[in-house]
Amino acid sequence: MKVLIIEDNQELARNIRDFLDREGYICESCDTLEAAKEKLELFQYDCILLDIGLPDGNGISLLNLIRAEYKDSNVLIISAKNALDDKIIGLEKGADDYITKPFHLAELHARIRAVYRRKNLGGTNIVAFNEISLNTDTFEVRVLDHLLDTTPKEFDLLLYFIVNKNRVLSRQAIAAHLWGDYTDNLANFDFVYQHVKNLRRKISGAGGVDYISTVYGLGYKFNAQ
Amino acid sequence: MKLTTKFTLWYFGIMLFVLLMGGYIVYYEIQNKLSRVEVVRHQRLNDLIAGQVRAGGDYSNHPTRKRATVTPIPADSVPRGISTYYTRGIGWNPEFQENEYRLLVTSFYLIHGQWYRITTYSFIPSFYQLLPGVVDSFKWIFLLLLILVIISAGLISKYILAPFKRTLRVIQSFDLKQKTAIRLPDTQTSEFRELNVFLQKMTEKAREDYRSLKEFTENTSHELQTPTAIIRGKLDLLMESDIRDEQAILIAETQNALERLSRIHSSLTLLTKLENHEYEADTRVCISQLTRETLNSFEELIQLKSLTLMTTIAEKIYVPLHPSLADLLLTNLIGNAIRHNMPPADFGEEGAAGNGLIQVNLTREGLIVVNTGRKPQVPTAELFERFKKGNSGSDSIGIGLAIVRQICDLSHFTIDYQYRDGFHCLAVGFGPRVAASKLLQNLSLPLHSRA
Repeated sequence: MKVLIIEDNQELARNIRDFLDREGYICESCDTLEAAKEKLELFQYDCILLDIGLPDGNGISLLNLIRAEYKDSNVLIISAKNALDDKIIGLEKGADDYITKPFHLAELHARIRAVYRRKNLGGTNIVAFNEISLNTDTFEVRVLDHLLDTTPKEFDLLLYFIVNKNRVLSRQAIAAHLWGDYTDNLANFDFVYQHVKNLRRKISGAGGVDYISTVYGLGYKFNAQ
Repeated sequence: MKLTTKFTLWYFGIMLFVLLMGGYIVYYEIQNKLSRVEVVRHQRLNDLIAGQVRAGGDYSNHPTRKRATVTPIPADSVPRGISTYYTRGIGWNPEFQENEYRLLVTSFYLIHGQWYRITTYSFIPSFYQLLPGVVDSFKWIFLLLLILVIISAGLISKYILAPFKRTLRVIQSFDLKQKTAIRLPDTQTSEFRELNVFLQKMTEKAREDYRSLKEFTENTSHELQTPTAIIRGKLDLLMESDIRDEQAILIAETQNALERLSRIHSSLTLLTKLENHEYEADTRVCISQLTRETLNSFEELIQLKSLTLMTTIAEKIYVPLHPSLADLLLTNLIGNAIRHNMPPADFGEEGAAGNGLIQVNLTREGLIVVNTGRKPQVPTAELFERFKKGNSGSDSIGIGLAIVRQICDLSHFTIDYQYRDGFHCLAVGFGPRVAASKLLQNLSLPLHSRA
């Protein structure tokens, strides 16, 4: 997957690049609207990460251009302003999703994959890993072709794990993914623990491999090897 | 009371005072003038009679003597210094056979070495007879003035106060968020001009302050979120490197603190936005629907904590609230009820055991959320303050209820929080006239599920 990161903060851009590089994505980054326009003219990208506040203008204006000229690219807006207006305008102008700073890199990755899936897989919407397959339309999980009885949050969690396989996922990142930003989820770690526990039990129960392991002190990891 | 009415009433008072004084003056003057004219006439008559006496001859049947007495008097009984005086009083009028008001004028003359006292009198209208006339005329004057004052007060105030009323209308529709400065009407009245200048300046200042505050909030939000995002990303990357256990603990602790920081920051930013009225309710949301959705999204947490949920949700309740705020309100209230829930057995209620409870009641009047839980360590009312926690050991940042209260204040909802026999009861009354405390009074608490 080719990703263009339009973000004026070098450090943040590097974080994203470092993280996505490990997924085998080809990442390029630029820090102004002008540079972004140049890059867009020369190359084609599957996904564009667009910061709203850029030194030479508002990212929304670029969104218009992208939608007019480069229809195939997914656009994910990154904004520090959790202002409702930006969100609504951004999505109305054709952004595919919206993420607010500060985000977890795993969350960003999950979002990129989600918009990519929605657009590029053309209806199949199956995420599979070895014996586990998830249908993102029907929210069904199958392990060795057995239908697993999972709750919506467990489905979310498993998808999050598979998308971010071989990565350490902190409890904070999981809590933020499952319950969003505004809940005071410092106290939700117990729930994370219980969800993970139930999910592991269900997969093992259906004869699947228990890929999920606890990482001491930090969180969990879905081990693909 | 209206300004015009006030003016009119004052004018009315002044008018009444002036007319009463005026009436007295007129009455007094008329009676005085009447006497004076009469006295002059009688003095002339007295002079005439004195002339007749001086000339000699019999004038006793002369018409001049009809109401006259001429008496020779000794020189020593002549008063010094005055030649004429008059007295007034009641006297018998033989012509009308009645006691009437009589004016007596007495003059002294020295004729051929002999002093004479000549007294003439006549009957004049008594002052009491004059009084009704005076009162009557003043009554009419008063009535006429009153009508004129009322009419003119209405008309003139309409004309004079018109610019003021226009200013008032402009100010009433003033909104801090409006993009343009207010336009006040021109006026010739200097006071109104001063007022307009002042208002113009003040609203401009308010708008300016609001704008800079908003800018500041947005800037801090922006400027703080980016570094936070960077730290978070670095930690995410660091986690995946080859680290030892003790380093993992350090990272986890850093992450916790960062989480807290970012949450406090976003909550405070949200509160500021609420205070700045950035979320005005322009539509009504179906709170019934939203409550059900929120409960659904919390369903798994409720199950994980093995809580018993009891709901009574009335259909199709619409409240004037911004959809995002409605969502926040419900998420905070129900989230709190789950997070701080404790089965009665866990906090040592005697003989009580079993699941924790959540009860959600939605009616036309308001929303009530009841949950079992530990007794709060501070008075419940204080829990609405920022960073106040019912339980200092808990892991939350203690800002959820402050947000809830802010939303309620903003929407003119009432809110009340009570702790009763192991139950936390929180009520939100929809609209300023529904007292939340009243909703709680009428609430029947769910029974402990005693084993």
